[in-house]
Amino acid sequence: MKLKSKYYLAWAKDEKIRKKGANGGFVTATLVSALENDFIDAALVFEKKSVYEGIPVLTSDPEVVKKCAGSLHGVPINLTRFVVEYAAKKRIGLPTKPCDARGIIEQAKRRQVNLDNIFMIGLNCGGTLHPLRMREMAAVFYGLDPDSVVREEIKEGKIFLISEEEGGEEKEKWMKIDELEQKGYGRRDACKSCTVKIPTMADLACGNWGVPQGEEKTFVEVCSEKGGAIFENAMESGYVEAEEAPGKGIEARKKIEAGMQKLAASWKERMDEVSTLSRSERFEFYVDELKNCIHCGACKAVCPVCACEDDSKCLDMNDERDSYAISMYNVLRIFHLMDSCIHCGQCEDVCPVDIPLTLIQRRFSERMQRHLGYVPGMDITEKPPLYETELRWSARVE
Amino acid sequence: MEMETKSSICPGCSIGCGLYLLQAEEGEERKIKILHRPTSPMNEGKLCKFGTDLHMYYEREVLNNSVEGGEVKQEEAIREAKERLKGFKPDELAFIALPSTITNEEILSFVSLASEFGCENVSFGFERFFREIPEEASYIIERGLPFSEVEKATKIILFFLDPFVHYPLLARRILKAKKNGARVIEVSFAKNERKIADEVVLVEPMEIERIKEKKEMFADSLIIGELTPYTDSQFLALMLWLTASTSSRLFLFKPFLNSTGAILFGKGSGRGDLSEIIEGIERGEIKALYSLETDIAGAMLGGEEVAETISKLDLLIEQNAFRTPLSDVANITICSEPFFMKKGTIVNIEGRLLDIGGESEKGLQAMESMGKGRTYEEVHEEVKRKLGLAEISEFEIAVKREEKSFEMAEPKAEIEEIKGEEGYFLRYKTNPFFWNGIQSKNFVEISPAAMRKLGLFRGDEVEVVQGERKERMGFKISELPDYLILSEAKMSIKPLYVAEPHRMEMLTRVELRRAKR
Repeated sequence: MKLKSKYYLAWAKDEKIRKKGANGGFVTATLVSALENDFIDAALVFEKKSVYEGIPVLTSDPEVVKKCAGSLHGVPINLTRFVVEYAAKKRIGLPTKPCDARGIIEQAKRRQVNLDNIFMIGLNCGGTLHPLRMREMAAVFYGLDPDSVVREEIKEGKIFLISEEEGGEEKEKWMKIDELEQKGYGRRDACKSCTVKIPTMADLACGNWGVPQGEEKTFVEVCSEKGGAIFENAMESGYVEAEEAPGKGIEARKKIEAGMQKLAASWKERMDEVSTLSRSERFEFYVDELKNCIHCGACKAVCPVCACEDDSKCLDMNDERDSYAISMYNVLRIFHLMDSCIHCGQCEDVCPVDIPLTLIQRRFSERMQRHLGYVPGMDITEKPPLYETELRWSARVE
Repeated sequence: MEMETKSSICPGCSIGCGLYLLQAEEGEERKIKILHRPTSPMNEGKLCKFGTDLHMYYEREVLNNSVEGGEVKQEEAIREAKERLKGFKPDELAFIALPSTITNEEILSFVSLASEFGCENVSFGFERFFREIPEEASYIIERGLPFSEVEKATKIILFFLDPFVHYPLLARRILKAKKNGARVIEVSFAKNERKIADEVVLVEPMEIERIKEKKEMFADSLIIGELTPYTDSQFLALMLWLTASTSSRLFLFKPFLNSTGAILFGKGSGRGDLSEIIEGIERGEIKALYSLETDIAGAMLGGEEVAETISKLDLLIEQNAFRTPLSDVANITICSEPFFMKKGTIVNIEGRLLDIGGESEKGLQAMESMGKGRTYEEVHEEVKRKLGLAEISEFEIAVKREEKSFEMAEPKAEIEEIKGEEGYFLRYKTNPFFWNGIQSKNFVEISPAAMRKLGLFRGDEVEVVQGERKERMGFKISELPDYLILSEAKMSIKPLYVAEPHRMEMLTRVELRRAKR
């Protein structure tokens, strides 16, 4: 079957996958089909431990993939570094949030992965939540025992928590995201201000925006030839069923995206406390925050766009014996990432002394990227304008 | 290549940070990667440098089973160990384990093994403190506090402890407390370069006890200090006296991951103490030592002397996952599994009972096969029974602490005047790398005055000298008193309070010279 359109409503044919997976189980069914039909060697998925925890698993077993079905908004882990470390030379398929896909594309530009071998099944993303804040949120605002929450869902501007009561009965409670976020809960700061909501840079972009209410289907945008091939294969081999998306649905999806982008832009403005400061106050702010750095290197270790490894300038040019107010490590990282930072917030998530790294990095990189007309991680053919993209000394792939 | 991901615990310090450990094997190649685990309530997805670099700790050379240097099967090493241990009188035996990588189950097994041989010289590093303080105060040594108590505190006193260095994952809790309005006071020899405190009370090195004059400052505070096998008795007494006489609370951090578990499950198991055991070996009274995952010479300052003492033993048995200088001289080595592979639990400094996440019982079974022969499940049930728990949850504080009032005699130490001309004093700033035998720093911190006095330039090196001991190091200029040298690196220089205990001193006199260029 040849695809005639760019937009589809699709779902898993297998009832179990349809039930377990989000929005009709299309993503899981497509990955299983890709594995069964030798499109990929392995799938990189999250094994669900609880509603707050998913562990990344690289597997060639379709049964494991089936077990990993379902959404996990409380898992804010970026998968880029896994792909680089474990799958650089393999053909893999994985679900990607926009920031995962953008990280992988930036790594491909730096010759750390070969994009031809990676099937990115993009997931529309309104944002992820920190799992521990989510637990607190369940207890404080939803009045639930955090451990009783078995599922979560984000739709129509609300966070739904579904708990299992004694006797196995399920109860659904929801709160408006905006209300939660005003109280300091809800999505991570990086997600609140992220304007890339639909991962069109991936091979397929999937989600529930544009799906008629009450229908358990996935709205799929085919974004690349590869994406088309994997989708077609899933249909031909009987894993997936699909119908062309109605015009109304396409419009609704666009509208939701635009609304979320607008909200993100307003969050960005609200959170940008640095730009309102005078130059000397800004310097004071940077010193005050960055002086706490303990040089653990965690921000570099998790950064989805950094490909320098042990030869990096931030490490080479830093000497802990120097007594600068801000270490060279931090200064070099800020400057080196100015053109390529995707503002995913991974660095801030892992910083042991809670330095607001996303905010600081954004202050420098956003203006630079605007000036250079470069949006990192969106297009493999666009090279980062400022810094080396070849990195031949550390290339993992040709 | 399949990738296996495990939930695990960092063995770097007593906080017990949660993390993921990824293993992938392709042909001969085995990769370990550490990943942050955001769900972990101890560290909320953060790790210090030790945790971030933990793969290096696990990539060390593994230990083989051996008898007198010859590789043997594990059963043979165990059989030989048991036979040889039987050849000693109970008083001639000692069992030591600094509990960095040792589970609660292994602690129970270790204690039980020692008792099978009638041995009472069992040490986990903290025994002597219980003999030196009033019993009513022992809960402070035994139990820590949840981090939520740090975040809620209104006044925090950092008592000779730099959280950024000693326990990096504590630092953010103090920063959070500050954001919540807490006042942070630092009692120290030198100002912290990160300026975490609202107020710094500088104390002269030989006059620590003069802090008693500022007793009022401690009222209703949370005092955060550190307890290590090196802590001077008088120094501990001072912390407890300040606590008892000012209705404050004292939170003592400890360097070893399962310090709390070792104290809870090892307490009362014997009359041993680390320093007494070493002295016993030195005097020739202790002739056989079973060391559980403890490179005693590598972990202790002045390790060369300890190594020399150890060589006087008739029998040294080292059970470990990795090769260490101690295992190189052991008569018998018994191979256990790396910490992340272990099936078992630990208790972190907050009192959380944590599952390590592994599946191997190798180390435990090695001991059980010499002792009572119990299954893992039996020993694990005993852990839960002793803690009064049915289930394990990392989100619960299993070992809670109840504050009690106690009386403490006012500690007194001789105050020695320091005269400017008397030279330099060295203070170690211990950190997770320090205790785990991995060197992470190659420099010492000195004052601008010392730099000028020695005529040092950028790129020069210094020599820190104590009698015959000499260490060549880089240097960093910090805002310190003229005479003070700080070191995060482990050197052969032995602190005075180890050489001459009970003086409350935390510094040692050294010479500082410019090294030849």
